[in-house]
Amino acid sequence: MAKNWYRLDTAGLIFPAIARRDWSNAFRVSATLDEPIDPDTLQRAADDLRPRFPSFYVTLRKGAFWYYLEHSSARVLVRQDYAYPLSFMSSAELKQNCLRILYYQNRIAVECFHSLSDGRGGSVFLCTLAARYLELRHGLTIPPGGMVADLSQPPPPEELEDSFLKNAAPVAASRREEKSYRLHGTPEHGFKTLTTGLVPTQALLDEAHRRRISVTALLAAVMARSILQLQAAETPLRRQRPVKITIPVDLRRLYGSRTMRNFSLVLNLGVDPRYGDYSLDELGRIIYHQLQAAATPQNMAGMIAANVQPQQLTVLRLTPVGVKNFVMNQVYRASGESGGCLNISNLGNVELPEPMRRHVRRLEFIIGPQRSYPNNCSVLSYGGTTAINMIRSIRESELERLFFSHLVELGIPVEIECNRR
Amino acid sequence: MYCVKCGVKLQPGVESCPLCHTPVWNPEGKTEEKRYPASLPERTREADLSGAVAFTILSAVAILVTLTVCFKLYGALAWGGYVILGIALFYVLAVLPRWFRHPRGEVFVPVDHAAAAAYVLYICLKTGGHWFLSFAFPVIACSALLSTAMVCLLKYVRGGRLFIFGGFLMLCGGFTVLVEFFEHLSFHTAMFRWSLYSFTGFFGAGLFLLIVGMIPSLRSSMEKRFFF
Repeated sequence: MAKNWYRLDTAGLIFPAIARRDWSNAFRVSATLDEPIDPDTLQRAADDLRPRFPSFYVTLRKGAFWYYLEHSSARVLVRQDYAYPLSFMSSAELKQNCLRILYYQNRIAVECFHSLSDGRGGSVFLCTLAARYLELRHGLTIPPGGMVADLSQPPPPEELEDSFLKNAAPVAASRREEKSYRLHGTPEHGFKTLTTGLVPTQALLDEAHRRRISVTALLAAVMARSILQLQAAETPLRRQRPVKITIPVDLRRLYGSRTMRNFSLVLNLGVDPRYGDYSLDELGRIIYHQLQAAATPQNMAGMIAANVQPQQLTVLRLTPVGVKNFVMNQVYRASGESGGCLNISNLGNVELPEPMRRHVRRLEFIIGPQRSYPNNCSVLSYGGTTAINMIRSIRESELERLFFSHLVELGIPVEIECNRR
Repeated sequence: MYCVKCGVKLQPGVESCPLCHTPVWNPEGKTEEKRYPASLPERTREADLSGAVAFTILSAVAILVTLTVCFKLYGALAWGGYVILGIALFYVLAVLPRWFRHPRGEVFVPVDHAAAAAYVLYICLKTGGHWFLSFAFPVIACSALLSTAMVCLLKYVRGGRLFIFGGFLMLCGGFTVLVEFFEHLSFHTAMFRWSLYSFTGFFGAGLFLLIVGMIPSLRSSMEKRFFF
């Protein structure tokens, strides 16, 4: 009998343990087409993807010692979008499916519980779903490759592997890190405000190259500058804390992995304002060089080992899942998110096969607010436009205002969209 | 259309800039194309009844064991009544609200006090005491009144938290004096042995909160230093 369940990957282990009664860790990828979405065709496309992406059509189950993912017998039903992205995924929902497929007007969106995959895996799933939809709707033939998986083939084993286990160093790197400044505001209890800034990719690239840094470093520097201003306005200098941006690093490129499960780690990069003022140029250079120095296969292998080694301890493996949840919760509360102010998750530039490109107007990537901080930022470039999605679970829009205003000051045109009514 | 303050380009038809909330002049009267529908998801929270079920089973087992032991050893309830009613009181206080998706404080606080009063009444009757009506009942009734008022104010009055908490603390100070007064009536103890100390502490803390609430600059300075 074929195995119909998976262990959670090393990164995915933490998410069921730290889920709260009104918060769970999920992300969203969406594609906007050139015509309104037909729900019946989308449903057929979603059903067709099941054999190729078995690790996405799963339910979250609790074993005696670990959570695990089991193939879901329930169909993932496509449904209309809500007023805001990434609404709460309850454990009752996760026991049915860990995946949502949503549509609204011209947009197809996939929301995914983070234990299944990360942004890169999710975007491959979305692009394949959109490709299948276009095939069914218009009779197109879309060649597989790149972001579109081949539906005629079963998933290769390396797509389902936990690549963390294969690439851990023998010795773990230290997790110790100074706590960073905490963003805060008036909570909105459920509603998430999404502000999307649409920016010409070439303008961003030109500005980054002029400063000899990457686009991610440029955006992180602008964000750090905005947060430094926010902190300076409310906290005396001596009590200020470091401002660090959490940047996820896609490890597939570093280790040549093809996994569709989670395979990324985060780095907290930034500056301490108590040591002096920083210009945008300095912030950009500091963050760029910190990123270059840290995102090496050797350094990341040490960080992977820090996550892998505890789960290989026999004592911990034999600890009941409830106790593990409690311990992981406490560890996460103490150190999980304290190192950074917010995430900037950049999926980079996504290329689609030519027949699809004519029909896909926009691709977007959105990560939800973290457990302990209310703002997050995610970036994806497609077709010459970069969509910078800033999500928040608080009322105040000051961070978004500062961030996008700084981009405008740099001569980068920004077009703003918002889901707030 | 552009925001005159932020310089960002805006969607046609928006009434104000989503970043700085500056009103936008819309001379052509265009309507905004909504990127998301108006429908909100159903507010879901985990029902999480596992704790309630586990406690219910544990309580039932504990009561059964107590009954068995008492009737086997003494042929009567004996001390089992204290244990069983104690478990029942704990159940009402800690487990009963867990069965409800949205437990209402203004209902459960008086219910909890009523349960406590019933338990105390049982002890009074069982021990042949005469202190329930003169001491325990008025003390529990005052506590119920005070805490229910606090819960209702916090729930139904928007803002003014500092005044509510300040007032509550001052009333708590008064309550301690009242407790000592009822103690004096029931057990003929001397007045003002301890309650003045607690009254001073509670009253001072409450007064401090009221002052902080009344002075905006002090309030914002405290907020800045103590936010969490």
